[in-house]
Amino acid sequence: MIVRLLALVIAVASGLGAAQAQGVDRTLPAQLSAPTRATLERLIDSARVAGLPIDPLYSKVREGVFRSADEPRVVVAVQRLARDLGDARAALGDSAAAEEVTAGANALRAGLHRADLSRLRDARGNKSDHPLTVALVVIADLATRGVPPAMAAASVNELVTRNVSDGSLMSFRQSVERDLVGGRSPASALDARTRAMIEDERRRP
Amino acid sequence: MSEPDSPRWLDEITDELRREVSVRPAWRARLLDDVARAPKPSSRDDVDERFGDEEELAQHPARRRRSITLGPFTGLAAAALFVTLGAGVTYMTMSSRARVHERERRGTTARAQAVSRTPTPAEREVVRFELSAPRASRVALVGSFNDWNPGTTLLSRDPASGKWVVSVRLPPGRHVYAFVVDGDVTADPDAPRAADDDFGSTNSVVFVSSPRT
Repeated sequence: MIVRLLALVIAVASGLGAAQAQGVDRTLPAQLSAPTRATLERLIDSARVAGLPIDPLYSKVREGVFRSADEPRVVVAVQRLARDLGDARAALGDSAAAEEVTAGANALRAGLHRADLSRLRDARGNKSDHPLTVALVVIADLATRGVPPAMAAASVNELVTRNVSDGSLMSFRQSVERDLVGGRSPASALDARTRAMIEDERRRP
Repeated sequence: MSEPDSPRWLDEITDELRREVSVRPAWRARLLDDVARAPKPSSRDDVDERFGDEEELAQHPARRRRSITLGPFTGLAAAALFVTLGAGVTYMTMSSRARVHERERRGTTARAQAVSRTPTPAEREVVRFELSAPRASRVALVGSFNDWNPGTTLLSRDPASGKWVVSVRLPPGRHVYAFVVDGDVTADPDAPRAADDDFGSTNSVVFVSSPRT
């Protein structure tokens, strides 16, 4: 009995910890039908077993419900995201953080290839403590705004190789975006801003 | 039965303590029968068998087995002690977390006025969301951080700039979001776009720096 009580106390204490650490609600919305919920649970379970981040999958389900998407569409979206997460994990390596994998999946969705992600990982080299999340977000954003994905990946690769900070990468994105809004061609904007950023980094002590 | 101010988990423990253990009559009878037939143990023989001869035991008295017999009341007291210890540890853990939470709250409020996205170890970061929508009457923020619930995070109009604003504490990482302007979902025009449009419209992305970056 004492053991059971202690187990209960420990379970209560550890449950509190888990609830605080967890950001995303890992339950499926009640609005979904039982068959859809079962399908989604299987999908998410498979992703969990494969070591993929599952919070984005739950979030995708909730986004679908929020946008009043029909259930098959929600299932397809989750399937697609799970596949992209798997591809991103394979390209970025097993040591990639969940955030990197998620950003990598988004970059794949924007038109990058797995090889682009692997090149970016290699460009980071031995600076493995520096996450690639921002670099991947910037590439995906540029691609979404009309910059050819391969071109965006090459430019950001160049900057990552030179150890440009995340803050500078975000400034780079904003500069390119301003140029695009101003009517400059993607190739020209990207080329000019990449050169300017490299020059800035070179001048830095 | 529960105390008026006691937390739920404490009630569960109390209920568990008070619950009577029910055993099938046949099992009880068999158990009592087995106990009655079992030979009476000789604690001294057991000690000698397990720990060596008397001479060795004389040299190392600590090796002697000590048996403790608890009566029903003593057992209950021991159980209560364990529960109190467990509850104490849990309370201290929760208090510590509450203090951290309060420190975070104070710290992020101050930082929100200065720099909004400065990384700080193990703390959530205040991110200020802004949207210019002069003719809107209601603007909400939805995203992966609030389970896409449009009723959770409402923006208010900033009298100085006329923009709709809200500050939200977010953990480090990549967060996808959108605004709901009078019922219409729209991406943030000033933020990077998320590439996925599974449900027919694009979201925005905000990146909160981690301490490593």
